[in-house]
Amino acid sequence: MDDELLADFMVEANEHLADIENQFLAIESSGADVDVDLVNEVFRGVHSIKGAAGFLGMKVVNDLAHSLENILNMMRNLELTPTSEIIDTMLKAADQLQGLIDDIQNSNDIDVSQHITALEAIASGSVASPATATPESVETPQEQTPAVDDIDLEKQFEEALAARQAEQTQEDPEEPQPESPAASAPAAKANDTKKITTAPEASIRVPVGVLDKLMNLAGELVLGRNQLMQAVASSEKIGLDAIASRLDQVTSEVQASIMQTRMQAIGSVFSKFPRIVRDLSGKLGKECDLNITGKEVEVDKTIIEAIGDPLTHLIRNSVDHGVEMPADRLRAKKPEAGTMNLRACYQAGKVRIEIEDDGAGIDPNKLKGKAVEKGVITQEQADHMSDREAVRLIFHPGFSMAAKVTEVSGRGVGMDVVRTNIVKLGGTVDVESVVGSGTNIVITLPLTLAIIPSLIVQSNNDRFAIPQVNISELVRIKSSELESRIGRIKNSEVLRLRGDLLPLVRLEDVLSKTSASEANEEQTDESNQNNSRAVNILVLDTGQQRFGIVVDALHDSEEIVVKPLGRHLESCPCLSGATILGDGHVALILDVAGIAAHEQINSVEEEDAMELEDQLSNESEKERQYLLLFSNQESEHFAVSMDVISRIDRIRTDQIDSVGGQELVQFRNSTMSLMRLENCITAKDATLAERLNVIVFEVNGKEVGLVTPRLEDIREVTTAIDTETFRERGVIGSMVLEDQTTRFIDLFEIAEVAHPEWFVNREVVVEQDDQPPLILLAEDSNFFRKQVTTMFEERGYRVVGCEDGLVAWETLQSGQHEFDIIVTDIEMPNMNGFELADRVKQSSEWGHLPVIALTSLGGAADVQRGIEVGIDDYQVKMDRDKLLASLQNFAGTKAGNNRVLQTT
Amino acid sequence: MTTTLLEKPELETSEQQFATFYVGDMLLGIDIRQVQEINREFEVTLVPHAPDYVRGVINLRGDVASVINLSTILGLPEVELAKESRNLIANYQNESVGFVVDRISDIVTLRSDQIAPQSSSINGVEGKYFSGVFAMETEILVILNIEEVLSGNCTD
Repeated sequence: MDDELLADFMVEANEHLADIENQFLAIESSGADVDVDLVNEVFRGVHSIKGAAGFLGMKVVNDLAHSLENILNMMRNLELTPTSEIIDTMLKAADQLQGLIDDIQNSNDIDVSQHITALEAIASGSVASPATATPESVETPQEQTPAVDDIDLEKQFEEALAARQAEQTQEDPEEPQPESPAASAPAAKANDTKKITTAPEASIRVPVGVLDKLMNLAGELVLGRNQLMQAVASSEKIGLDAIASRLDQVTSEVQASIMQTRMQAIGSVFSKFPRIVRDLSGKLGKECDLNITGKEVEVDKTIIEAIGDPLTHLIRNSVDHGVEMPADRLRAKKPEAGTMNLRACYQAGKVRIEIEDDGAGIDPNKLKGKAVEKGVITQEQADHMSDREAVRLIFHPGFSMAAKVTEVSGRGVGMDVVRTNIVKLGGTVDVESVVGSGTNIVITLPLTLAIIPSLIVQSNNDRFAIPQVNISELVRIKSSELESRIGRIKNSEVLRLRGDLLPLVRLEDVLSKTSASEANEEQTDESNQNNSRAVNILVLDTGQQRFGIVVDALHDSEEIVVKPLGRHLESCPCLSGATILGDGHVALILDVAGIAAHEQINSVEEEDAMELEDQLSNESEKERQYLLLFSNQESEHFAVSMDVISRIDRIRTDQIDSVGGQELVQFRNSTMSLMRLENCITAKDATLAERLNVIVFEVNGKEVGLVTPRLEDIREVTTAIDTETFRERGVIGSMVLEDQTTRFIDLFEIAEVAHPEWFVNREVVVEQDDQPPLILLAEDSNFFRKQVTTMFEERGYRVVGCEDGLVAWETLQSGQHEFDIIVTDIEMPNMNGFELADRVKQSSEWGHLPVIALTSLGGAADVQRGIEVGIDDYQVKMDRDKLLASLQNFAGTKAGNNRVLQTT
Repeated sequence: MTTTLLEKPELETSEQQFATFYVGDMLLGIDIRQVQEINREFEVTLVPHAPDYVRGVINLRGDVASVINLSTILGLPEVELAKESRNLIANYQNESVGFVVDRISDIVTLRSDQIAPQSSSINGVEGKYFSGVFAMETEILVILNIEEVLSGNCTD
């Protein structure tokens, strides 16, 4: 058989079938009021398929087309009223027909008798009960088609022709050509002018206007070249600038026009959705209207081809999970039929596609529950997750949002695949949902994939292009901030960015090592050493992962033309192609998703980081503290509360004087006593560099310094402190930060250990024979309650501790104790410090009691509010010196009138 | 006489022209129809994670072509680039691939019956890379099997 002829047939048949679904659906919707012109048009399409198939010996295609044609014939003669059932059968037959044509070589071996029988049943059934004839369609046909009479003539002519041709098949295979185009012309016109044919050899329709424009531009290019040659040949090189700019302009126009030839209306993808929605909602017993807008939006052919599957999945999902059953909808006071809107529009140089339904929406709490159950996230993460974030969980790999697995979706694969596919195209997908009123899925896609805006970066001496679409921001970290901004979790580096921890990789390492797991150890030390200067970090986003990549230098951003790499380089995981830069050198294009995979950066690791961050700072709303982390030696880590630190000084080692066994440093015309950790607590000797840091704090109005060889970080942490393991004088307890045991230092105790003579005079606060003042302490953190209680008791006070404001209030009311002073934390559950103070001050009984508030770091707003409710004083928790002084002040003057405090 | 001259190639088998070149001490040849150009473009852009026989990529008048170290594939000692080194660009399955060769030699015209089949290895190079050999006056010309060379499954 003539392959070329067959190919022509396939192209043509596909054109006829391309819109047949929507035409059938249109016929269905007009019901008894048959749009004869429309039916005619479909009829002609099917008829020419039949004719050509018969001629080519495609018997099965011929038979099936014939049966379809029969029905259509009856419809246009108003002998048969289209109903949903009939259209159903016809749609199935059309699907089968399409299937036959896609696999035309084997079509004669396929059994289609089931479709033919069904169609014949309709045909014969309808003869018995002729449809109520509606005279003439009043609807204006969308397309201009020849009059009905012409068709009949044409048909007769064609049939005669086909019959004659069938006889001469063997002798003259060229003959059928005139027949098919003649019949197809009107139908083709009716179709959208730009359809992708799924023909064996892909072809594309280009508007003649675009071709004309290209031709003109080609002319201009030639002209420009001639001018250029002349100018170069002339010795003066006159007008080169003008010619260059002209050529530049023409080239850009040529580029734009050529891109335009690849642009296809997105309607060709959208056109299959009405059928899908109809079939699916029918199957599920739902009702659903699909409104499509923006069919005319044009995007690159490659994108049109790739977007079909993801969109189909989303549409099916919306029908299956979004739109509720009619009964449920009525109950929710919504119209019985659900509405889905499929919209496409241009937005900021991209295409935005929205799939919106007015269904039940996605319940974030249900999703969270499911996610926790499946181990996708932890309960803790779920608790902190905003609703919007929770809804995005549907894109998480291996997460199906179907409450029950249905035939349609919910097989555990789905939205994550959709997302991956869209991201591969350089697009993004997001979801918004309001419970009860619907879901909106928004996809953005680039207009083209052939030319992509990129940023050129450098690693060692090589330049690479990174697609702009993947870059979310650029971060430059000064060398002085390196230590605080770049941290380390297990063996990988992380970037601290506005409260987030991002996995960090170095482009150099990515490109040199073969896999992430290998060579991790060697790399890490080295890279740490390289940290001495400022680094440029690109924050990349693949849609699934977000990570930072360290590059050596940043260059321009350019529009680059993507060139494929040869087959030997296809296996390179981190590259997606190459491009040629302005200077003629080749630059490789980095595949951001590939890098993420290669470096084994996955969402899980990100979650680890989140979890860690949680442990560090977010764990609960209650007690947070700013800690200064430092180390004496590699393995020994310490923390002190920022609250008590006056400042941090940097001194040279040779500034330290040793006087009488004490180390001193001359500083701002005064002498400051220095302490070393190893002299006060069990710690290894510090290795002193040329310069070192001194944590300066105040004891009894004197400034004291603690020598800290290496400062590491300032961190906001919760106080999950183990007070047992490392307890000694000077050490409050220990905690684990970033896998390292960190000892929490009490600077005042250290000072006491180092200089007991400073404290001798303050040992006893109250006289032994007298009843010491009784303190009501409200503090929700066990750790702090214990700390403060111990501190007070050491000074001879009596303390009653309560775990929150309410308990304190109740204790006060119970009248069991007669308190002299109230010390309260501000942030507490049930009743906070302000409320407690307010109640106390409002009451007639206890209004006279002084209230001291404890804070982590006194904020001005807090102080203001505190004054309003009558709080007498503010003290920072860890600054025991001042706290005790204040306590003594208030307990001594206001509450302890009858008691004489020994205030030496 | 003219008739015999004319008839000979028809009766025998067709003639083929081979571009010949040296890699190390080996004289190799490939069908001249597969040779696209010969240049001295050695400024390659290195490709991370590429197979070791890929030297890098070059800009070949607007297209990106891979450059391959033939010596690595054949298991010959790697040769330094010298004055006579050339980049021989072959077109294979619509893709331009460059081979680094040490010296370009002549174009040799051979009848197919002059080429002896070769399956055993020569100079330690596996026989699968050769489609035949031809004994010249002083040395042996080895015809490369370019499909096998570029198949990428070199065993080393």
